[in-house]
Amino acid sequence: MSLLGGRELPEAQARALRKARTLEWAVLAYTAGTIVLVALVMGNSQAMQTAWVEDILSTIPQLAFLAALPFVRRAATAKHPYGYHRAMGVGHLVAAVALLAVGANLCFEAISGLVKQEHPPIGTMQVFGVTLWQGWLMIAVMAVIMIPPFFYGRAKMKLAKQLHNKLLYADADMAQADWTTNAGSIVGVLGIGLGIWWLDGAAALFISAGILWDGLKNTRASVLDLMDMRATTYDQSEPDPVHEQVDELLRGLGWVRDAASRIRDEGQVFHVEAYVVPKRAKVKVTDVDRAVAAVQALDWRVHDVSVSIVQELDLPEQQEERQERRRRGSR
Amino acid sequence: MPDMKRRRMRRLGSGALAVAVTAALAGCGMTIPSDVEGTLDAVTGGVLEVGVTPNPPYVDTSDEQPTGSEVDLVTSFADSVGATLEWTEGSEQTLVGLLEAGEIDLVIGGLTDDTPWSERAALTRAYAQAEQADGSSKGLVMLAPMGENAFLSALERHLDAETAGRS
Repeated sequence: MSLLGGRELPEAQARALRKARTLEWAVLAYTAGTIVLVALVMGNSQAMQTAWVEDILSTIPQLAFLAALPFVRRAATAKHPYGYHRAMGVGHLVAAVALLAVGANLCFEAISGLVKQEHPPIGTMQVFGVTLWQGWLMIAVMAVIMIPPFFYGRAKMKLAKQLHNKLLYADADMAQADWTTNAGSIVGVLGIGLGIWWLDGAAALFISAGILWDGLKNTRASVLDLMDMRATTYDQSEPDPVHEQVDELLRGLGWVRDAASRIRDEGQVFHVEAYVVPKRAKVKVTDVDRAVAAVQALDWRVHDVSVSIVQELDLPEQQEERQERRRRGSR
Repeated sequence: MPDMKRRRMRRLGSGALAVAVTAALAGCGMTIPSDVEGTLDAVTGGVLEVGVTPNPPYVDTSDEQPTGSEVDLVTSFADSVGATLEWTEGSEQTLVGLLEAGEIDLVIGGLTDDTPWSERAALTRAYAQAEQADGSSKGLVMLAPMGENAFLSALERHLDAETAGRS
């Protein structure tokens, strides 16, 4: 049942993937509850309304993950010879663009509210026959729902790392930053309570700027992935060590003089194209087959491997190195 | 990991700060909610300027002094804060304009909770239900100035108390 790209996952990853799916569903159900709860109390506070929209937006990456999952599990077909892994990347891009567009819109609304000097009205509410200022209810709700994202955000982050899943990483990253939204809306409502009308608009601006920033960050990350940037670690902070490992493994083989590779990060798994310069003009087919199998065995994420026998290495990496050497020589 | 810890510390810090700020403000005699323009303070022991649009039986302006159920509610509210009343008659549009300009403090005239003026005025919570001409039932509201939340809350509490037995 735990297939990825039609291939069985290692036990640890299979468990992580199952957990990730359960967690995403659970958090979706929880978020549906908070969306209803916040809608009941949000009233006329712009900060609260912005936080509510953010709550709704936070479901998009989760839905994208759950929608993409059945696709990335599929094996490659004649029609889709590279498999369906890009479904994750497409989901990531769609979610990111949604964040970007809505974040920009909310920013504009917050700024226009401040420019027009809108004074948000918040009156009272009757709860079980008691008349309460509605702001206290808003603050109570936001303070309570501030806490869970810490725990599920951390759990998602752990799974994202294990699964090398960038969409899950983005989702976890947003969940961990979610408390700033709640804290912002509490400040906004307290501002209204104290008669400092602009604090609500300022809080709304702060929250929407956070959404906009998430959108920018994720659009950038997903576009870089879809444009086949070299394989990186799950947070795109550094090149993935698997690249180095592949090159070293191939260079270490007895019949190989030199080797280099380029890796396509398909979002969760890697497709490796390796180029090998043999010591002699004659190469045994079984040697090449064994090299392919060895590279594939390096890491569970290495899915597709092709090894080409060449006279000379001419990947962009070597071209850049040659240029560098020439520049230094001429100086 | 240290990053996580730092974040959690920061969160604890901000929570403690919020509590401290609230306590400090309460200590300084600040109340929540407060008015941006101090309407409730100005009205208390002063003058409550009310805009009226004729709409019997809520507001009737055929006599010298306005009468009607909403006029009664506003009069008892004014009594509760020790304010004297001044009435201004006009169309809803004129009165909402005066409300926005801060010339008057309240607009009444049998307005309902789906009034299009909600963009420009603060609606009270519906204090009663009223049958409309088309047979539907809508909540009756009054219009207060935007952002005058102490005034709005005081008025709503008064309306709650006045209509407690009736609705």
